[in-house]
Amino acid sequence: MTMQIISPAKVYPVIVIGSGASGGMAAWNLTRQGIEVVLLDAGEKFDRATYWTHVTPWEARERRGRGERAPQFFLDTRESPYATPTGRPFELTRVWGHGGKTNVWGRVSLRLSDVNLKEPARDGWEIPWPIAYADIAPYYDRVDQLIGVCGGDDDSDILPGSRFHLPPPAPRCAERLIQKGAKTLDIPFVPTRRANRTRSVRGSIPCHYCGNCGAGCDVAAFFCSADHLLPEALATKKLEIRSNAVVSRIITDASGLATAVQYFDRRTGAERQVRGKVVVVGASCVDSTRILLNSTSRTHPNGLGNGSDVIGRYLCEQIRFHANGYLPALAGGPTRNDRGIGGEHLYMPRFNHRPGHTRDYLRGFGAQMWNTGASSGGAHGGSEKIPGFGIGLKQEIKRRHPAWFEIHPYGEVLPYADNRITVDAAKLDRFGVPTIRIDYRVRENERKMTEHMADTVEEIVKAAGGVFVNYNRGDLDGNGTAIHEHGTCRMGDDPKRSALTAFNRMHEVRNVYVVDGSAFPTATEKNPTLTILALAWRATDHLAAELKKGTL
Amino acid sequence: MRRRDALRTLTASAVALASSRLWIHLLAEQDWAPAILTAAQNDQVVALTEAIIPATGTPGAKGALVNRFIDHALADAGEAQRRAFLDGLAWLTDHSRAEFGTDFATSAAAQQAALLTRIDDDGPVADADRPGADFFHALKGMTISGYYSTEIGLRQELGDDGRMVLAEFEGCTHPEHQG
Repeated sequence: MTMQIISPAKVYPVIVIGSGASGGMAAWNLTRQGIEVVLLDAGEKFDRATYWTHVTPWEARERRGRGERAPQFFLDTRESPYATPTGRPFELTRVWGHGGKTNVWGRVSLRLSDVNLKEPARDGWEIPWPIAYADIAPYYDRVDQLIGVCGGDDDSDILPGSRFHLPPPAPRCAERLIQKGAKTLDIPFVPTRRANRTRSVRGSIPCHYCGNCGAGCDVAAFFCSADHLLPEALATKKLEIRSNAVVSRIITDASGLATAVQYFDRRTGAERQVRGKVVVVGASCVDSTRILLNSTSRTHPNGLGNGSDVIGRYLCEQIRFHANGYLPALAGGPTRNDRGIGGEHLYMPRFNHRPGHTRDYLRGFGAQMWNTGASSGGAHGGSEKIPGFGIGLKQEIKRRHPAWFEIHPYGEVLPYADNRITVDAAKLDRFGVPTIRIDYRVRENERKMTEHMADTVEEIVKAAGGVFVNYNRGDLDGNGTAIHEHGTCRMGDDPKRSALTAFNRMHEVRNVYVVDGSAFPTATEKNPTLTILALAWRATDHLAAELKKGTL
Repeated sequence: MRRRDALRTLTASAVALASSRLWIHLLAEQDWAPAILTAAQNDQVVALTEAIIPATGTPGAKGALVNRFIDHALADAGEAQRRAFLDGLAWLTDHSRAEFGTDFATSAAAQQAALLTRIDDDGPVADADRPGADFFHALKGMTISGYYSTEIGLRQELGDDGRMVLAEFEGCTHPEHQG
């Protein structure tokens, strides 16, 4: 790329890239400590007034008549294309806009425990985590109180830290039946832990139980960076947000330190630059990796801070499948309002590490069960599998409506060196920036785990008296669909095998921090956002202390 | 793209379309006209969807205007999916005419039921009937998605109370399902 770069004069103390869980937290934590931040986000602010949250399907008709449209949260891949090998797709879900994926996230907020964090050191697969639960716990406590997490008080070795939970929503009947069945197998289902505000948090409007969180919350009753972090950061007068800023590269000086960030205006294509003393990267795992790998220079020929060649490698998320069916014990009963907090109210924590359980693979899995009970999703997802047509079909759909269940186990995918994101200088995007290629597949360990996941789900359903309707043993959901990407810029104690320190700072570039899911050495079986928030808070506390010491 | 794959992706995108609610406005249009289907094809689709979800104590697919949803789903789909659907519809129309001397929409209820039973892939399907069976399977999924995302389907038929603002979520109150 040849271009003339005009350097603007102002040098910001910190540049933050991305405004989702990681970037939003970084901006919030730095500005409240008096540090000036310029935040670059690839999109704009979504307008809550336009959300279709508390709208029944049939009321939507009138809105359409008034010319309203639901907001489009998800990025069209054509705008930022990526390649995958033939026959090995990877389904990437991205939100470019203030708050990122926290606008529409699943809100499952599970702490990692030492079962997860000490496991790589025990089983020897790849590198150990450089931190233990005790290092993150104080930050988890702060995050829980800041964002509002509902949940039970049933702490265990795998799910610690319930001290600050808001009351959990009551389970639905279908969830109760699954829970009772699983209990006979000594498999626990516990109140889920999710970032829905079942009670007001610092004056916020509590959850209304419309169950339509996936449309974005028009009353901000679940945690979203754009609703709960960015406004407070802006109120400090220390934050400048630049919207529609699609970051391409981090620019370094002759000594290899970051000095500026190059970005393109999403609407006009104009190339811009902003200078800063420190860069905090939080663009989400895949986009942060794209930026780092494209930030090549004489001192960083393999991408920024990538002398170890680990950046882009070890991409890992989770395998899942969807087992749908119904519970005859509830069929034919009255239709209840089962919307709740939009998704499951009970969660199956991982159990395979406990005494009495055996496994022939590494790591483990938990399970969610959205669309369980009377749900229109159940009616769509299962009813087409009911035999026949006509009055009999219609009656059977009605009979089963209160009784649907869906079990969705999530299993950890190990980090593999050649599950990899690379950039292709021969395939440029509309700004002339190299696009990415994602080469990802699951392997023997995941195949063995899938078998155990299937055995477990089948045993639970049998014990609960359920009947499968839409279930094909061994059919995994598409790679990427868990939307929990990790591993491509991992933290670790050994600079030869990791890119970041235990405080998310680059080993090789002391004024760059990477604070999103790419920093995780392992994917675990859990949803990562709560941990991303905690680690971003911890990393930017470290950054603030370094700034005060003058070491940056 | 193979016919069955095309039909399968068409059904899947119809499910997504139903969830997105982006078709509901079609129900309010006084002078609606199909974007993809011809008038004759639309008549066949109305009859087919009503055979899948008929009127009982509540309106069926015809009363819920599911044909408009299907036309919209076809407009939204790729060319291969559209082609597979229309080929399947043509297969069914040809067989109706050959066997009953009239279109599906104008044939007797017993004749309709006999033909649909033959191509309902929950039972054994003859090789010669496979194109019809693949089409019917896709149409059934689309009809269910369309019908059960309307006020008629969700509220009148399934008994959804439509309430989206609750102070507290009650959850399961069945004494036998506690603990």
